[in-house]
Amino acid sequence: MILDVKNLAVSYAKNDTPTIQGVTFELDEREILAIVGESGSGKTTVIRAILNVLPGGGRVSEGKIIFDGRDLSTLDGEGWRSLRGKDISMIFQDSGAMMNPVHTIGKQFVEYIQTHSDLDKQDAYNLAVEKLTMMNLPNPDNIMSSYTFELSGGMRQRVGIAMAITFQPKLLLADEPTSALDVTTQAQIVGELMFITRGTGAAMIIVTHNLGVASYLSDKLIVMSQGKVVEAGATDDVIKNPKHQYTQSLLASVPEMGRRRYV
Amino acid sequence: MSEIIMSVEHLTKRFPVANGKFLTACDDITFNVRKGETIGIVGESGCGKTTLLKAIMNMQLPTSGRIIFRGEDITQLTGEAKRQNYRHIQMVFQDPTAAFDPKMHIKDIVCEPLLNFDLISAADVESKARELLEQVDLPPDFVNRYPHNMSGGQRQRVAIARALALEPEIIACDEATSALDVSVQDTIIKLLVRLQREKGITYIFICHDLALVSLFSHRIAVMYLGNMMEKLDGDKLKDARHPYTRALLKAVFSTDRERNQYIEILPGDIPSPLDMPSGCPFQNRCAQCQELCREQKPAFQEIDDNHFVACHYPHTF
Repeated sequence: MILDVKNLAVSYAKNDTPTIQGVTFELDEREILAIVGESGSGKTTVIRAILNVLPGGGRVSEGKIIFDGRDLSTLDGEGWRSLRGKDISMIFQDSGAMMNPVHTIGKQFVEYIQTHSDLDKQDAYNLAVEKLTMMNLPNPDNIMSSYTFELSGGMRQRVGIAMAITFQPKLLLADEPTSALDVTTQAQIVGELMFITRGTGAAMIIVTHNLGVASYLSDKLIVMSQGKVVEAGATDDVIKNPKHQYTQSLLASVPEMGRRRYV
Repeated sequence: MSEIIMSVEHLTKRFPVANGKFLTACDDITFNVRKGETIGIVGESGCGKTTLLKAIMNMQLPTSGRIIFRGEDITQLTGEAKRQNYRHIQMVFQDPTAAFDPKMHIKDIVCEPLLNFDLISAADVESKARELLEQVDLPPDFVNRYPHNMSGGQRQRVAIARALALEPEIIACDEATSALDVSVQDTIIKLLVRLQREKGITYIFICHDLALVSLFSHRIAVMYLGNMMEKLDGDKLKDARHPYTRALLKAVFSTDRERNQYIEILPGDIPSPLDMPSGCPFQNRCAQCQELCREQKPAFQEIDDNHFVACHYPHTF
């Protein structure tokens, strides 16, 4: 087991009522867990809590997160720094926004690699190019010398994923990784996420509001609403045989090709 | 089939860019809109669907082509005649938060179009606003709220109420449900369909979600790089003949895992609209691209009743 989350609750600032509570799940190597729910359901808070990057004074107020045998609440600043981006890394909704627009992608990629390893500049550059090639990006040298705004949304997302998988993390956290993309690009990126988890053995948690993407990618599914887990289980079971009324109505409102038409 | 209320004829819009080049956002687009129907315009970012909508809304003059609405070419209208034309065609935007002045009350927002055209007096604003909110299933008490006091779905209902205020013939929706959660999206679509039944409104609905559009559009038009690639009846989407439409259909993830086995990934990226290939715009990503496709641009031709395709080999599948 790579990740064990027990009865997690997160509170923000002086707020006494927790924003999320009672979140419990386990994750094995190579497993993909999808957390689905509507805006404000707390799905992003869960993965932010795992990486200890909760905004605005958010804190884990209850529960435990055990990653690879270690209780994450015992980590100090240095411990987090060596963990983040190396053993656990994150893929954001818009990877362009996580990078600095006034520096080239290459400069930031090399800096990131050197922060976590003792490679020299040239080796770091070569490693970056190798990862970009792995993500099917044409002309990686060209991309290394580009700025984020020069790339299309799909290319930016590939760069983000290439950076996230550089150190072969044991756990990938993906926060709405395909929501800002067009349909055909979305299919490409989802295919690549599937490929890297199957290929590197990393476990992944994907947070998404797209139930189609979740059901395609994931082995396990968690449905959240208003900060609570309303249903959890193997993806097949939850999708085919939803027990909770909220899951049923959520599934019923997904527009599906060939479903009964409104007109 | 109902009467044609708008005809878009050979509409082309080019934007000048640096070095004397032009970006063709809409290239020779021709289609009809029929009364009381929904036409869904689908395409990926940069395909020109918003430019097309802006031309239809008369917010942007096309480079060439005509838009016939209510018996006249609306691209030629100026001054007061142009202003009066806006009464008959209204719009709902993607982001209902950005579409309103945050300092205006809901009643002033929904009644502003009526005041602009002197259809009601200031004293009637409150009662008229209540009536409009009721039409979109919002509590009439919301008239004294501000936009930020409402949820996204409620705000989008207010946007629809504002578009309804002038009783337009056409409502143009630019990704009107994309910013909403699926359950909210579902209720908004049901509302739009009910209003269409009651009032015979025509919708021009721009959207990137093919699955959603297929569920409530009478006609579907698919755009790619400024060109209309295919237009067909909404319930006949599975008979689509254009390779791009078929690729879009195969790229939609479903909650049905059996169906997901047929996901096919369309390789490559959309080419830059600044250096468009000669011939078919889809040639570099098309699996069945032939010599002819690289040389000659396919015409937008009718291959079946109401089914138009811009492809040299629509029957190869």
